[in-house]
This record gives sequence, C-alpha cells and structure tokens, in this order.
Amino acid sequence: MVLTLWGTRGSLATPGPATARYGGNTSCVGVRGDDGTVLVLDAGTGIRGLGKTVDASVRRVNILLTHLHMDHIQGLGFFAPLFREDLEVRIFGPVSSHAGLRERLMRYLSPPLFPVSLRELPCTITLHEVPCGEFDIGEFRVTSALVCHPGPTVGYRIADGNGKVLTYLPDHEPALGASTFPSLPREWTSGGSLAAEADLLIHDSQYRADEYQRHVGWGHSSLTQALDFAALVDARHFVSFHHDPGHTDADIDRQMEEALAEAKPAFRVTAGLEGSSFAL
Amino acid sequence: MAAAKTIQLILARQLASCIATPILLVDDENALIYYNEPAEAIFNQRFDETGEMPAAEWTSRFAAVDDDRNPIAPDERPMMRAVVEGCPVSQTMWLRSSNGAWQHLRITAIPLFGEKGVLCGAMSIFWAI
Repeated sequence: MVLTLWGTRGSLATPGPATARYGGNTSCVGVRGDDGTVLVLDAGTGIRGLGKTVDASVRRVNILLTHLHMDHIQGLGFFAPLFREDLEVRIFGPVSSHAGLRERLMRYLSPPLFPVSLRELPCTITLHEVPCGEFDIGEFRVTSALVCHPGPTVGYRIADGNGKVLTYLPDHEPALGASTFPSLPREWTSGGSLAAEADLLIHDSQYRADEYQRHVGWGHSSLTQALDFAALVDARHFVSFHHDPGHTDADIDRQMEEALAEAKPAFRVTAGLEGSSFAL
Repeated sequence: MAAAKTIQLILARQLASCIATPILLVDDENALIYYNEPAEAIFNQRFDETGEMPAAEWTSRFAAVDDDRNPIAPDERPMMRAVVEGCPVSQTMWLRSSNGAWQHLRITAIPLFGEKGVLCGAMSIFWAI
C-alpha cells in the first residue's frame, strides 16, 4: 500500500507561513492498495486536496472516520468526488449509544452549518457503523476498536494483501489515568491490540510533556507518550500526527528533537509532514 | 498472552486503580481480570500474584455465606448474576478470604455495557459492613 498525509494538523486548520512545512490542514490520510482500493482516513480539511487525485477511473471510495469532532469531518463537504453521480462512497464511523451515524453526520452536513444536505449529494452513499469486528475492503482487512478519546472514537488497523500493517490513531490518550505510562501490558492499554507490531503507526503527538499536564483528559498525547506507546506495541515505524494548532514548524522540530533525545527509540521515527508519502 | 481488553474495561481498571474503594472486574465470561489494591486487602491476595483466572477457579477460592450462614453458590453471587442477568445486583454476605478470616460485606455488581449494548463485563464494589 501507499499512503499520503493530506492533513496532519490537530483541532483547527492552521494555515500560514509559520506552519507551511508541517502543514495546516486537519486530519486526512489517503491510502491506495495495490489493487486500486481507495481508503480515506478521516475527512479533515486535507481531504479537499486528496479529492483532486481521485480520477474518473475510481468508482468506489471508502472513508473511514475515527470520530466526528469537527477537525475530522470538516472537509467532507469539500470532497469533490461526492458530487459525482457514478461514484459509490462508503463512510465508516463510530457507533453512538444515543444517535445513528447518519443523524450525527447530518448535524454538520445540513443547513445552517453547510448548504448541501447529505441526502442531496449525487453520489451513492452508504453508512457503516464501527467497531463491527474485522471486515474487508478490497485487499484490505480492517479492524477497528474504540480507543481513549472523549466521545465515541475508534482507531483503525489496516492490513494489506502482503501482510503489511498500518495503524491509525490520530486522536488518542492511552496514558489517561496512569500514574506512570506505560505501566501495563499492551492488552490493557488503549489501542494496544490495534497497533501491535504495526509496520507504520500514525499516532497523536499533539503536546509537549509539560503541555500534556495542563490537558489531561482532553484526549491527546504528548510526543513522548506516543513514542512510549509505539515502543510498547513494538511498532516498526512511527509517524507523529495531529500537531497542535499553536505549534509552529520550529516548535514541532524542537519538540521532536527533545522527545527523541529522551526516548531514544529503537524504531524508525518520522515527523508527520503534510504531503509526505510512505510505501509499505 | 491475555486477550486484548475493550476500552470500557481498560478505563474501568484505570478508575479502580486510583480510588480507595475495593473493586473487582470480570469480563463477559465472568473471568476475573483485575482487582485493585483495596480489594487485595479483602482477599488477602495480591493481583500480581494471582493474575487473571477463569470464573470457576476464582469463585472457588472464596467461600460465601448469607447472613444466616447459608452457603451462596458461585452462580448466585452478585458478580455472576450481574453478567448473566444483565442488571445491577446488590447483596450482603460473609466472605472468607485466603487466610480464613470472614468479612461482612455489601457487594454491588454492575454490568458494563459497551457500544450497541454489548456486554463487556462487570464491576463489583465491596463495602465492609
């Protein structure tokens, strides 16, 4: 599979010269399988750029939403393929105990927040609630599970036909409530089974360690915690993600340098830059 | 390796590990998966030493009788009933720990339902009387 980071910013789109290198678009990752299967992980503002790469030969797109916070769905209405009559779009999103996925998505995709209603889109849309066990999308075997983040939120483990595994945990606070982290084995850690021995782990790295202490319970991790989580699950390659909107490129560079010096990871670490691609 | 736990059980353990009330957790098959330090004092056993146990094993370790000293069978105890019946169960009983001491307790077991109403397990609270 080949994947591209179309949006790596957390919480709020942050355009401008100070964030030009890591990017200002919110969460979106495009994944292409060897068989042409198209997965879109989250629909933050980065999905607009991804939409331009979906050519007419593509007849089905699968959008996997981790949760419905605005920074993960705001780009949905600007995903140009939704306006193609010949396209099938399958949207996967977390189940809720009080309202269905369609009802919750329509709170955004309807007036007054958005001029076009979900039902008015010309493409054929089907909605699927997760987690629902393992399921197949083209060559991919997808596993989802609820993870630690406010409100129903899932992470995804995506295995391709060659056995390569991508794990996507963009909004995740596995250290919540732990006096030291990690202190428990991976089966007792949020997201642990999803990320076990992943070839590529895309993980929430929003805060510096001191910032996390002021944001406990907000659903995010410090980069140091994220690296510790990656070590716990024996990830082979870690990509930082969901950068804080208050962090400039220089801030993120410094954050990465300090975290690497402290954690000294035995695995490969890459800072998540908008536009970067990875082949597994 | 033990099975991966659902987020509901992970968060329940996190909660139990940082409060002073004795708490015991079981999974959806009533296997014991965790008890906190205050509960260790009641059972006279450390969780690190016992680890996870199937239902039949851990319930056989503790004799339980009602206030009239009638034995309470394992499947009639609050934790088992909470999982089987899917509703909270509260009961007073005498529990004998591994050192032979009897303790008078009110045990309240609460089933933990996750998304789509799927049963994940149950949490029991032990209250000394």
